[in-house]
Amino acid sequence: MAYKDLRAFLQRLKEEGQFVHVEQQVNLEPDLGACGRAVTSIGDNPPALLFDNLFGYEQGKRAVALNVIGSWANHALMLGLPKDTPVKEQFVEFSRRWDKFPIPVKEMKDAPFYKNEVTKDINLFDILPFFRLNDHDGGFYIDKACVISKDPVDPDNFGKQNVGVYRLQVKGKDHLGIQPVPMHDIAVQLRMAEERGQNLPVAIAIGNDPVILIMASSPLLYDQSEYEMAGAIQEEPYPVVKGKLTGLDIPWGAEVVLEGEIIGRKREPEGPFGEFTGSYSGGRSMPVVKIKAVYHRTNPIFEALYLGIPWTELDYMIGLNTCLPLYKQLKETFPEVVAVNAMYTHGLVAIISTKTRYGGFAKAVGLRAITTPHGLGYCSMVIVVDENVDPFNLNQVMWALSTRFAPSKDLVIVPNVSILPLYPAAEPAGITHKIIIDATVPVAPDIRGEFAQPLDPPATAAQWEKTLRELVKSTVKRSK
Amino acid sequence: MNKKMKTCPRCDSDGCTLVTQSPVAGCWEVYGCPQCFFTWRTTEPDTITDGSKYDPRFKLDAEKISQYNTVPTIPPLLKE
Repeated sequence: MAYKDLRAFLQRLKEEGQFVHVEQQVNLEPDLGACGRAVTSIGDNPPALLFDNLFGYEQGKRAVALNVIGSWANHALMLGLPKDTPVKEQFVEFSRRWDKFPIPVKEMKDAPFYKNEVTKDINLFDILPFFRLNDHDGGFYIDKACVISKDPVDPDNFGKQNVGVYRLQVKGKDHLGIQPVPMHDIAVQLRMAEERGQNLPVAIAIGNDPVILIMASSPLLYDQSEYEMAGAIQEEPYPVVKGKLTGLDIPWGAEVVLEGEIIGRKREPEGPFGEFTGSYSGGRSMPVVKIKAVYHRTNPIFEALYLGIPWTELDYMIGLNTCLPLYKQLKETFPEVVAVNAMYTHGLVAIISTKTRYGGFAKAVGLRAITTPHGLGYCSMVIVVDENVDPFNLNQVMWALSTRFAPSKDLVIVPNVSILPLYPAAEPAGITHKIIIDATVPVAPDIRGEFAQPLDPPATAAQWEKTLRELVKSTVKRSK
Repeated sequence: MNKKMKTCPRCDSDGCTLVTQSPVAGCWEVYGCPQCFFTWRTTEPDTITDGSKYDPRFKLDAEKISQYNTVPTIPPLLKE
């Protein structure tokens, strides 16, 4: 099922009616940001957009792709599933393939992006049609690229090679700002390099197949390879090629690749940038990347994503891939955990459904969630529900909250713990209280409340649900 | 260079420079500020390119920039 590159995936989206080619000329600002925002509002399954008539660039020579993974239909197609696959079924299939990790990569000798090479007088603007996404962004951003780097102390460890998506502000022709949030793997590697007075080599791959982007934006463990997980998810070895300058492994299908290094021990003003929290990030002093080589396909596609007040493409991209690692990590400690929904603002809110071993157990599950690697920067609010509550069904979650949560017994506040610096309610930035809301039925020895007479559906309700669904389908067919 | 483009619309400092011009000649130019690293395109609305119309909630000056948090912090050098 693997898509060899972005172009192959766009072709599939086109065949499935999930792709629109915008042929009219557009201005870089405000049209592209506006389209990225607007497409999220045009129905339940917004399509991918491709623009190749950009004011200031020769028509057809440069293109911008937006919203490529921006709907559950596109997400299902990314997994090679029918486009109408329900979210929970996508979660279950994603989880099944996750367990096939690791699948070793396929090493390639050459790649389409090596067709054109620039190492002198680099001007990124000539190759990539950058644009401002939201009005008060501090500049133009690369916000959907795979950034690849190695562990400076253990550079031959393939698992520790990191592939992540980090926002990159374009500050000049060959000069970028980068945001390595302290909880992210690249910040761990930058710290090691900076402690040794070194720069950190990076490769930046732009315009990729969707599976590697899903894995690069997933909070895997530090020594888990995103490439080997991409192989598991696409059920085929993931193809990579060496960077000529850095020796880093790069996605073979990329449209454009930048090689360079993060300059050690240097910080510069960066931002603000309209973020996934629905607020601007504010400005901070952040690291700097110097680009030394650029490789690109002929007539490359610049893939970007709109982000702002949820839901946007980003929420689809970091929805299930945030749920899965949290689920797997929780389950290692507590096999009773049934499912995790951490799709809201990258898991700032997480809803966990679990069986309960004994009184107080659900609170321990919630506390474990905030101490997982992802939880250290997210999970400001963890809601724990019983195993018979589907955490992806918010009607059920609200029922559990409204009937099972006793404010005097079931609220745990954990004071002054870590949170990502972008969390708007933090005080100071990077620190917050977190809460666990236990909305499970209390069990012994925590005997309290009126839960002795639970209401179950009538005996044949599940069977009737199936029958009624089929009846609805056949009625719709007949009326057509 | 357009004299107006020497001044940063966001932090009002002078010394901004031309970053690039459109590949199709004459369509637009991009300028950049060496103090706050703001960049802008000449075809953007004047609420972005004109400092007097730039949203005051997002204006900057040297003092505000000096108060920026460093993310991530720079670690001490390891001793040999």
